[in-house]
Amino acid sequence: MRRSLACLAMLALLVPAAALGVGAQGATVKIGVPVPLSGGNAKMGDDIAKAATLAAEEWNAKGGVLGRKIEIVSFDDACDAQQSVTAAHKLLDAGVAAVAGGYCSSAAIPASAVYHDAGVAFVADASSNPKLTDQGFENVFRVIGRDDQQGPYAAGFMIKTLKGKKIAIVHDNTAYAKGLADATKAAVEGAAGVQLVFFDAVTPGEKDFSAILTKVKSLKPDVTYYTGYYPEGGLIAKQFKELGVPGKFMAGDANNDPTFISEAGNASEGVFVTSTPLPQDQTTAKSFIDRYKKRWNQDPGPYSALEYDAVSVVLDAIKRSGSADRGTIVKAIAATKGYSGATGTINFDMKGDRKSVLYITYIIKGGKFVPYGM
Amino acid sequence: MDIALQQLVNGLTVGAFYALIALGYTMVYGIIRLINFAHGDIYAAGAFLGLSLYALLALLHIQNPVLTTLLALVVSMGCTGLLGVLLYRIAYRPLLHARLSILISAIGGSLTLEYGLFLIYSPSFLVYPHLFGRAGPALGDLAISWLQVIIFVSSLLLMAALYVLVHRTKIGMAMRALAINQDAARLMGIDVNRVIASTFFLGSTLAAFAGVMTGLYYSQISFLMGFLVGLKAFTAAVLGGIGNIPGAVLGGFLLGILESLAAGYFSSRWKDVVAFVILIVILVARPRGLLGERVVERM
Repeated sequence: MRRSLACLAMLALLVPAAALGVGAQGATVKIGVPVPLSGGNAKMGDDIAKAATLAAEEWNAKGGVLGRKIEIVSFDDACDAQQSVTAAHKLLDAGVAAVAGGYCSSAAIPASAVYHDAGVAFVADASSNPKLTDQGFENVFRVIGRDDQQGPYAAGFMIKTLKGKKIAIVHDNTAYAKGLADATKAAVEGAAGVQLVFFDAVTPGEKDFSAILTKVKSLKPDVTYYTGYYPEGGLIAKQFKELGVPGKFMAGDANNDPTFISEAGNASEGVFVTSTPLPQDQTTAKSFIDRYKKRWNQDPGPYSALEYDAVSVVLDAIKRSGSADRGTIVKAIAATKGYSGATGTINFDMKGDRKSVLYITYIIKGGKFVPYGM
Repeated sequence: MDIALQQLVNGLTVGAFYALIALGYTMVYGIIRLINFAHGDIYAAGAFLGLSLYALLALLHIQNPVLTTLLALVVSMGCTGLLGVLLYRIAYRPLLHARLSILISAIGGSLTLEYGLFLIYSPSFLVYPHLFGRAGPALGDLAISWLQVIIFVSSLLLMAALYVLVHRTKIGMAMRALAINQDAARLMGIDVNRVIASTFFLGSTLAAFAGVMTGLYYSQISFLMGFLVGLKAFTAAVLGGIGNIPGAVLGGFLLGILESLAAGYFSSRWKDVVAFVILIVILVARPRGLLGERVVERM
């Protein structure tokens, strides 16, 4: 008797919960935001999630989309292939209409297959490995450039502007870093009179890179280009100076963060970083920065504006198509025509890559990223 | 030649960290045959406690880098030592006679420490103050900083002190007695729990020293920093002959140098493969590790 009473009590608890669950799904439009919230790249993930929340809040203040409120659902992908797939399944279980986010390419690529199987649109804000859109998934888009666009740009800068004749490239074997390193390598090897003297990888998570840098030192490169992420990048820049490696040090866009400078200390002075322009260097992003600062009391991260645009593109597509159906959203995003976002005008090509992406180089001066030659 | 010498210096620096941490593994194993998986995370906890102290001293406007560093080291080593004892009391002592459960408990302890640091401090990495510059002894083209010299010398001194403690003091004698036969030691009136607890204390203080030095030298710490280093240090302890103090030191330096040479003359990507293949070869030839056979007594 007691047991059946307990069962009844549980049922009584369950029924309204189930009803609420269904009701909630009807009431809000959920946008999934997978980002690293733990590990070395957690700060980037936090910056990205905050931008997504800001976008949703602004749309909600104007009445949401299709008369429904927007809800951001965020899970930790830890920049890890396995965990990103778990996070993707969790997002699908939560009933997201579309996904906009991600950071590490090595996490985004496996997750994109899960979204593809479910027919859910995935707009990547920061994952730049070419493979992401080269898989031929019609549901995958990105608002950031591709590494095979940044690679040739970086090679050109090292050869033309820095007059480098001997170039060393260091990556970390992750999808993003290897992709950028390969693209840069191809461009360097294609240039006349320039020599690629070093091409090797470090192990992410380690702290001592003196052995590999000592080897680089013996090859006397004019420029050393590091294509990995900033947790190791700051350490490498520091040890580069400490070991007295000759030539200039340059890093890819995943090093475009103030923590890179605080980690490397004085050794960061004069370091070059290739990147898409930071929000503060884009006229279109001025009002976004103000609103972001007002909401979060801190500066936006390097990918915050891109994530803001990724979420906005999705919401714009829902609004245009008049439906929050997953398949309809995919088609509507592909049909995006000149959406004017915080990072400029957004159009997608056949693959889902953003058309006409701009790269610039920063130099670290006085503990700040300053656009070089502008 | 310069390059080879530089690689040796690089290897010795990394090796000093491995050796300091390996000592904790080897002491605990010597006494209770436990592979203390949480030891790498004790090292991380030491680094974080040191950073807290730097922050506290900065609030109190104590700026002298030498004074703050000494204070940070002493307090971090003391607190981390107590943390090690606490870990023993909570996670290991109730399971001393359950060989498998205690291993699982060690993994649990490791995860608890890692995610404790994650929750208390930061999910991202933290940056230590840049207190000591790049200056060092002028040795031609060789890049070596005073901090590296200090790390190397003080780690050797600490290891020597530990060796003396184990071989020349009463508590050391009790530790060695425990390593040989726990029941007999207990019958001789040795307070077994106290001796084990002091072993955990000593091992943890050395790990804390390594942790604070890691922060100062590399300037970056994170809650997962103990995982990879702990694995390498454990390997170093096995290489030297687990349970053997000079062996742990030798193993640590050897592993550091092997890695550094492999990265320098082969490829950084293959560094771990090369280093570990050599380790396997050594262990096949000497299954008890480099010093495991020659020294009959453990420790």
